[in-house]
Amino acid sequence: MTSTLYWLQGGGCGGDTWSLLNLEAPGLVEALELLGVELLWHPSLSRGSAREHRQLVEDLASGARPLDVLVVEGAVIRGPGGTGMFDTVERRPRKEIVAALARRARFVIAAGTCASFGGVSGAGEVEATGLQFDREEPGGFLGTAYRSGAGLPVVNLPGCPCHCEALAGTLAALLSGAAPDLDEWNAPLDFYGLQVHQGCLRNEYHEYRVEDADFGQRGCLFFHLGCRGPLTHGPCNKLLWNRRSSKTRVGVPCVGCTRPDFPPPHPFFRTRNIAGIPLDLPDGVDRPHYMAYKGMAAAAAPERLVARKTRI
Amino acid sequence: MSSTLTLNVPLNRVEGDLEISAEVREGRVTDAWCSGTMFRGIEKVLLGRGALDGLVITPRICGICSTGHLAAAALALDAIAGIAPPPDAVRLRNVLQMTEHLQSDLRQSFLTFAGDFAGPAHRQVPGHADAVRRYEPFKGETVLEVMRETQRLLEIIAIVGGQWPHASYMVPGGIVSAPSQRSRLQCRLILRQFRSWYERRILGCTLERFAEVRSRDALQAWLEERESHASGDLGFFIAFARALGLHQVGAGPGSFLSYGALPVPEDSAVRGVGGSGYLVPPGFLQGGEVRGFDPWSITEHVAHSWYVDYEGGLHPSVGETRPYASGNEGRKYSWAKAPRYEGQPAETGPLAELVLAGHPLISDLMKREGPSAFLRQLARILRPSLLLPAMDAWLAEAGGPLGYYRSPGPIHEGEACGLTHASRGALGHWVRIEGGEIAHYQIITPTAWNASPRDSAGRRGPIEEALVGTPVADPEDPVELGYVVRSFDVCLVCTVHSLRRGRPAGRLRLGT
Ligand code: SF4
Repeated sequence: MTSTLYWLQGGGCGGDTWSLLNLEAPGLVEALELLGVELLWHPSLSRGSAREHRQLVEDLASGARPLDVLVVEGAVIRGPGGTGMFDTVERRPRKEIVAALARRARFVIAAGTCASFGGVSGAGEVEATGLQFDREEPGGFLGTAYRSGAGLPVVNLPGCPCHCEALAGTLAALLSGAAPDLDEWNAPLDFYGLQVHQGCLRNEYHEYRVEDADFGQRGCLFFHLGCRGPLTHGPCNKLLWNRRSSKTRVGVPCVGCTRPDFPPPHPFFRTRNIAGIPLDLPDGVDRPHYMAYKGMAAAAAPERLVARKTRI
Repeated sequence: MSSTLTLNVPLNRVEGDLEISAEVREGRVTDAWCSGTMFRGIEKVLLGRGALDGLVITPRICGICSTGHLAAAALALDAIAGIAPPPDAVRLRNVLQMTEHLQSDLRQSFLTFAGDFAGPAHRQVPGHADAVRRYEPFKGETVLEVMRETQRLLEIIAIVGGQWPHASYMVPGGIVSAPSQRSRLQCRLILRQFRSWYERRILGCTLERFAEVRSRDALQAWLEERESHASGDLGFFIAFARALGLHQVGAGPGSFLSYGALPVPEDSAVRGVGGSGYLVPPGFLQGGEVRGFDPWSITEHVAHSWYVDYEGGLHPSVGETRPYASGNEGRKYSWAKAPRYEGQPAETGPLAELVLAGHPLISDLMKREGPSAFLRQLARILRPSLLLPAMDAWLAEAGGPLGYYRSPGPIHEGEACGLTHASRGALGHWVRIEGGEIAHYQIITPTAWNASPRDSAGRRGPIEEALVGTPVADPEDPVELGYVVRSFDVCLVCTVHSLRRGRPAGRLRLGT
């Protein structure tokens, strides 16, 4: 049995597509084959004329051709003034196509933070939103009541870009009939049930509060450099990127790109503090205990960490 | 009865959203309009944000050239902070930008451009079966190999910078990581593996052998010299593209622009091209004459773009962007603005880079045949052969005592531009910081140059110009237009613009 998939790019950068090309063992082409997916259309990769594409969209929207999976990459642009004319296809607002295909699809996947929550596009002036969330606000473009043909909400795979394994793994789960467990943001727990902080090679530095105040060293980036790893859910440090590393491993503070509030209103790479303790504490931790614990941890830090001798 | 036909063609296999309108008379394009159909309004996100935030936000403008944007953002901040990154940071910044070029050149050439070679429109062309075997989307031998090899190659960016796409490892003063000897060796091995694949699969000979091909005649002799030369993807491209007549279409405006990119550290064995200190030398070529590049000669026009009008063109340091969706009735037809150099449209990208660098083969072909869709694409396929040796040299030279980062301290005030080349050509970020916040951020992308609409004097943009004269065999499936447009490797997600607030700019410092 083959399943059909239509990939739609809205207000985004195409990064989720390029991220997907990072998929390895099986790679993208093999994975689609193994899952029995017929890729009806991908705007960057498919061949086919404008006429063929027009016909395809018409057939999918009318139900003449079944649509199993709709993947949306990029936010839905509604501006100006709700017209959608900031983003058009052959002079029609693209949001109309999103709505028409979402009505027919058995599953809808939001690939990346823009499609899930609005993301970088949503922070702009084009009235962009995620499919079922507008930043933290439920609803988004399709509304809270929306369910796809299989009875599921939009499955969100946030990340800027989203990790290729999250996309391939979720697709595999959905098509095998195993509805994935979702968190409060409708993101699969298999990929978003852990923090970016987990698996960061700087964890021991974090543990003893050995903190860097500037780029280019080996310590933890949480207390001064704005690392959002302990506040952000995602598999970056478990699955790694391009099979090799991650931002925090090489020394780029986590920017919290899977979070619905990404990009946050305050500057990156700078931790907001109260009395030397970050304003935003690791997820679920209370301040008095955290202050006591970090004070003691710093006092217990071994010399090899303080001197940044332990390699990462 | 009029025999004029107007074609409206939305183009896939370009990054982002581009629609072409072409007027066709007696089977040839007589006029063309190139329209970017999406406005993302990224600029508003940047204004008022922290001084460093361009390093996070701007790579997210474009999924396939995030490293280019990161470099431009970092260069602007280097200049504002008045800091020179240590030479090894320059080396690695270069290597990572070049890695992004390699993947982009290969993917664009063989996943995007060559996809139509295998299409039904060319069933009668000799070699079509071979084209299908190589370039059928998701199936072709070359397609699968390019996917695999470019994926491996990008591991270099992850080893040094954490991930691709969208990382922020370049910061004012250098890069955040200090790759160990082992990491650098790993990168060299990955690069060597890629090089040997590129030599075997694409060139059909070594880089050194191909470097001896310095003219059109030498190219012909090289093609006939060995079976592997003709059957490599380069050899096949040359034969098939010429059989389609792609060397006779898509000339464009004939003016070429480079800002200069990939600065060569002084202590490097790698030599800058033509004494410029850059691997990609700056310059402007028009009418066969090369002139020095002056960043003050850049302006942007909006007469035909969906923005509130102003007179003539504005320099990007004072440029403004106020969206104005006036519909399709008036003269405005694109979300892209029209950048001009000395008031002229200019093409940028690998062809511009290779011509300005005086690449012997490309220059000879240019002299004999003029620019074309074929030549533009040939330059893109050959660019990796010029980048690979310098990349290996810089990875080998890195590891010196000065490290990879020199702290600039907090950045409060200042104004500068960061000029570099992304994979598709000249890229600039014009930035002003006030009170530690971004007060102005204007970006001109390579695609803004190439896919520009008409300017206030009514001059066509480079792609529009290139389309004029193109023959169209089947108006229902105008593949010829696709070749001309895709030879520019357009990336429309990049046509973002920025807003300004506050006082006009003073003097600009250049971060290059
Ligand atoms: S750098 Fe960030 S992710 Fe790594 S240990 Fe520190 S807080 Fe956690």
